[in-house]
Amino acid sequence: MKKIAINIKQVLAIAILVVTASACELDNYDAPNAQLSGTIIDEETNELVEQDIIRGTTIKIIEHGYDPVQPQYLRVKNDGTYANTLLFANTYTIQPELRNFVQVAEQEIQIGSDTKLDFRVQPYIRVKDASIVKEGTKIVATFKLQQTVPEVVSRIGLYAHAEPIVGEPIRSVASETQLGRTVDEDETFTLVIDAAENRAALKSGSQYFFRIGAVITVPEAKFNYAPAIRLTID
Amino acid sequence: MKIRILSIIMVMVLSVSGCRDVLDLRPLDKLDGETLFATPEGVRVYLANLYGQLPIEDFSFGRLGFNTANINTAGIAPATQTDDAANSEFSHLLDGGGNFQWWDPGYKLIRDINLLLETIPTVSSLNDADKATLLSEGHFLRAFTYFALVKRYGGVPLITSVQQYTPDVESLKVPRSTEQETWDFVLGECDAAIENLPTSRTEDNRRATKWVAYALKSRVALHAASLAKYWSKAPLSGPAVSQGLVGLESSLANHYYEQCIEASRKIMDEGGFSLHKPTPASPEEATANYMELFQNPNGAANEVIFTKGYTNPGSSGHSYDFWFNPNQTSDGAPHPGRMNPTLDFVDLYESYSNPGQRAPIVTTTDGNVNDYNGFNPSKTYLRFDTPYDIFKDKDARLWATVVLPGTEWKGKTIIIQGGYIQPDGTPKIETKDEIAVNGVTYYTYGAANWANYSGFEVYLGNMTRTGFSFKKFLSPNPVPPNLTYSTTDWIEFRYAEILLNYAEAVVESNYTANNAQATAKDAINAIRSRAGHTVDIELSLENVLRERRVELAFENKRYWDLVRRRDYHEVFNNTIRKALVPILDLRVSPAKYIFVRKNLSRENPLTFPTNFYYAHIPGVGANGLVQNPQY
Repeated sequence: MKKIAINIKQVLAIAILVVTASACELDNYDAPNAQLSGTIIDEETNELVEQDIIRGTTIKIIEHGYDPVQPQYLRVKNDGTYANTLLFANTYTIQPELRNFVQVAEQEIQIGSDTKLDFRVQPYIRVKDASIVKEGTKIVATFKLQQTVPEVVSRIGLYAHAEPIVGEPIRSVASETQLGRTVDEDETFTLVIDAAENRAALKSGSQYFFRIGAVITVPEAKFNYAPAIRLTID
Repeated sequence: MKIRILSIIMVMVLSVSGCRDVLDLRPLDKLDGETLFATPEGVRVYLANLYGQLPIEDFSFGRLGFNTANINTAGIAPATQTDDAANSEFSHLLDGGGNFQWWDPGYKLIRDINLLLETIPTVSSLNDADKATLLSEGHFLRAFTYFALVKRYGGVPLITSVQQYTPDVESLKVPRSTEQETWDFVLGECDAAIENLPTSRTEDNRRATKWVAYALKSRVALHAASLAKYWSKAPLSGPAVSQGLVGLESSLANHYYEQCIEASRKIMDEGGFSLHKPTPASPEEATANYMELFQNPNGAANEVIFTKGYTNPGSSGHSYDFWFNPNQTSDGAPHPGRMNPTLDFVDLYESYSNPGQRAPIVTTTDGNVNDYNGFNPSKTYLRFDTPYDIFKDKDARLWATVVLPGTEWKGKTIIIQGGYIQPDGTPKIETKDEIAVNGVTYYTYGAANWANYSGFEVYLGNMTRTGFSFKKFLSPNPVPPNLTYSTTDWIEFRYAEILLNYAEAVVESNYTANNAQATAKDAINAIRSRAGHTVDIELSLENVLRERRVELAFENKRYWDLVRRRDYHEVFNNTIRKALVPILDLRVSPAKYIFVRKNLSRENPLTFPTNFYYAHIPGVGANGLVQNPQY
């Protein structure tokens, strides 16, 4: 008797499984069939414009044919490249929104299976002649700044983190200076992080990434950077 | 055949009777304004509903909204969104205006208030004086409500009449007013409230008076003035900014500061209020006086301007005792200990021997208070006989607000200990362990059993991870271990806030008329004297702001102070809040206590992005409003 009862339970369980599994049918919508990728390039130096991966530059894209339409925002990778591989082929209006460069004109673009779009921009600040070296337990950064707009440079910083995506928003240690003035491109700035004073974050013998950044006082401006450098801490 | 004729007649009779107005009955489940407001009881019923909906940021307010005492909030209070405290269990991210969303309830309340304002003039049974008083009360409620909207969203649609439904939806859409127009509207509503509200009430004395309206105006004007002065610290861009829907011109700052000064001064000069027990004989007495003010606001009528009461345990109480007692005095509540005041906050309190300065807790002989890297064997730590000697000489209000390690609360010694240093010098910190030294067993957390200590173990999330527990507002008596069983009343406006508003506005605008500088200095020193200080300090922005933060701590002001002064994104930029870990040093005999300043354990670095200064406006697709920046 008991055995039969168990069998009924098993049958029931199988039946429920079958019924629920049959509900897992795929929907009949089309899959995304278009991709957009590209870079943000300094129009003068032809180098990629370094970015932040969180709270950094965003690109607004608005798909045509819907009203009202919710804009979509693309994030940009640290090295200044971006990609969205899950779009639908259509006409879009595209413009960067939050950014660390002077605004560029809005453009309409037909996005297809593999569309490329590079933004040639004027970064607010160029970090020049950047060098990050180790002196004992100290990490010393020296650099020059070239600002391309008249506003003041509000803050400069040297940022450290275990991951290469280091930046002002992602750092475990920072050495910052509030500048609040315009800068001359011949002026040399020096920032120092002493690992000995930050042992909770910077362990001896481990590798960390260091990156120099600066931000202008334009409303909502994002940081401009030099590329991150990897060093082993003493 | 007969049946057919009969049914024809029946149908005729029925349809003819349908032509009468038997269906035009007055509904039995609704009252019209004339009937409702015909009696004082009707007025009180309607007003009680409005006061109940009022956005008072009290014990029952948090990231889940207003009046949420009966919901599992995980004990996340507004204070744990700031640098004043952390939650013991969750290192939750900061909420922007977004998670304090209050749009639909706000406009529902505004509709109810507009109904009141439109109905009162039509009620024939009310005399003109009563009508004027009730209208002023309506304007107070509307000012309070729009203040809650404008500080979250910036400029909002100003709906000043009851909208009637029409199929033409477009005609019902009201665009956002500018932020300046909205602040001016709120201040205008305060003036309309002040005009005819009574100076005191003999019955229903928790309803608004003229002084409550002045107090609101003082708070509103200070908020607007600070925004005008500091908005450019965190500038935004986009359509909402270019249309003035968010943002205030800095040139408006002094105009608003002066309104704050005038409203505050009115209360100071004519309100008849004073500080509760202003001259304590000793810091110990000051501690007791300050605690009693919050444990029973009704015993401090001279200081309290406006309270929200809690009456029925189990239904309309709040849940502070449930969430925030230290683990050892939970009275059986399963999730105590959630409010952990931070070291950053404790550092702020002055010491009696060094007035006018924050007095950070010094733990080492080198006096370095900026090293948060944890225990360092090469440093020489100061040794203390008790876990609380290190706080001796600190402001009485610290002892009244925070449960310090080793102090008494609700008849128990609250044990907060983070570890020990073994006689051989091995540190055992924030880990469960025990060791026998000379026949005595020592435990890292200060006792063998989790029920007998209140700090640092991860167990159940019940233990403080900052080294401090919390007691301001908590009942000294046992409270049943369920949600909504706390009945301490909430003080929404008290005299000390008015003094601090006044002092801040005077300092910020460098106002001199009417002997303002000296009066403002007296104001902050009166508050300090009540806390047992005997040496007066100068009037400076730093002194006023420190005094405000410690005096009004955990009264849910800090969040908005960080917002209005645009300090949030600077205070929280990859910020890890700090802890003070009491550690038993077994290297010496008898064992002594040392303290380690360190980054909070199990804590994410917190950042407040600048777009959080305004909340996201819901439903812009349908209501057609301009969205706030970066949403």
